[in-house]
Amino acid sequence: MKKVGENKSAKGIWVFGDYRNYFQNRVTLQLIAKGKELAGKLGADLTVLVLGHQVHQYAMEYVAHGADVIMAVDHPALKSYQVETYSRVVADLVRAWGPQILLAGATAFGREFFPRLAKRLRTGLSADCVALDVDAQEGWLIQTTPSFGGELLADVITPQSRPQMATVHPGMFQERIHDAAAVGRIIYPDVKVEADERVQLVRSKPEQGHRGELEDAPVVVVGGWGMGSRENFQRLFDLAEYLGGEVGATRPVVTAGWAGEDRLLGQTGRSVKPRLLITVGTSGALQYTTGIHGAETIIAVNRDPNAPIFKISDLGLVGDGRSILALLLETLKKRL
Amino acid sequence: MRFRESLISAHHNYLINQMLTPGFILGQANGEDEFWLLADVLLPGEKAPCLSGRFYDGKGVFLLHMQGCEIIENPGNCILRASAEGFRLLCPSGEMLLSLDTEVFANGFLTRVQGKLYDKKGSLRMEPSFESAKVFGDNHRALYAPVRSQNKASDSHEIFPLDRGETPDL
Repeated sequence: MKKVGENKSAKGIWVFGDYRNYFQNRVTLQLIAKGKELAGKLGADLTVLVLGHQVHQYAMEYVAHGADVIMAVDHPALKSYQVETYSRVVADLVRAWGPQILLAGATAFGREFFPRLAKRLRTGLSADCVALDVDAQEGWLIQTTPSFGGELLADVITPQSRPQMATVHPGMFQERIHDAAAVGRIIYPDVKVEADERVQLVRSKPEQGHRGELEDAPVVVVGGWGMGSRENFQRLFDLAEYLGGEVGATRPVVTAGWAGEDRLLGQTGRSVKPRLLITVGTSGALQYTTGIHGAETIIAVNRDPNAPIFKISDLGLVGDGRSILALLLETLKKRL
Repeated sequence: MRFRESLISAHHNYLINQMLTPGFILGQANGEDEFWLLADVLLPGEKAPCLSGRFYDGKGVFLLHMQGCEIIENPGNCILRASAEGFRLLCPSGEMLLSLDTEVFANGFLTRVQGKLYDKKGSLRMEPSFESAKVFGDNHRALYAPVRSQNKASDSHEIFPLDRGETPDL
């Protein structure tokens, strides 16, 4: 066995490989693509951390999508995610290897795991970034994140503490094409793994939702607080069905319980890239629009002609969303 | 912190010494009168693992010569039993000499090689360990490119030890 220090090429950018479901794995692949680009600018390697038990296929998949190095910790105690165990293991690895940059998806998992890890490592963390770049001369990670309630996009740097840590909003980057001919290096560190005995996983149940369907839908209909009620919001499902699409929601709608968390779009939710997005009764707050900027065509409906949503829409309709929705449904019923 | 290191292919890997590797050689491939085992690299599109070698028993008696998973010489009267996932190579006594199982993933394959292999001096070179096998002795190397097409292990391929150091104590 060798000791850390004999191998310095795992010091560049690390991405935490979260493979636990389709949605989170896609975010990991997006981060690998971006991390690879940034690592190229820094002249460093892109390393993907793979923790778990019997995780060979994910290590191979990450190599196919651009990872130069896999840092694999395969242990039965890592089969189920436990935040204390995971953060202890990753903190030990980071201290031993000293990567400059550490990235994870801003999923429910990343939002719990990375702040704890940052605290252990006594470094900063930029949460929910929507863009990343590097200053190759200084070695700084430029972390673009919504600030001041989403009114501004701020570029954040961490000049002193290492590693530079960020969670990145899903859907911000395009994943690379699977390359079956790719070959990388795989490192098996001799790290101490101790299960957190205070927590025991009794059982896990997959969430019944629309994970993957919303992201892949060609048409997405989104309702905001301006829909006025749960009943009005439900009519969006009729429209989505006519158009062969899915329904998304803004934060106030989810908070009110008109739609589930799995339909939330934006900074703290999901990102979509449909061919057509119809957004009804949404003001256009940055927290929401970060999740829809990949849409090819946006049609916005709002009563306020000065609503920010019209600045990013291709077609704007000024009027009451409920009335326009009713007219639209009536017309579609006659035609289809 | 100590660590072990190997190569990893996006398409197909063997699990050996509890590490993934696209291919590996024990001994000198195609050595005419010596023990060797070659688990060759598969290229994208290839699905069947390719194992070759020359095997001996614990007393150094020549048992079998295999090329590309086919038996070429078999003075030890070993038995090859194919299965959906690979094959089992058995001694006449029923003792397992070598087994190969391939697991299919959505976008790749993993082959587990297990066996109890000796060289001509009767020294143990491979034995089962956890879900894979542990190898012993010098001259074991990882491969990143196939060697079978050249009919011998060529020096033109960059090859290095599975862990770039001593065999890990598993």
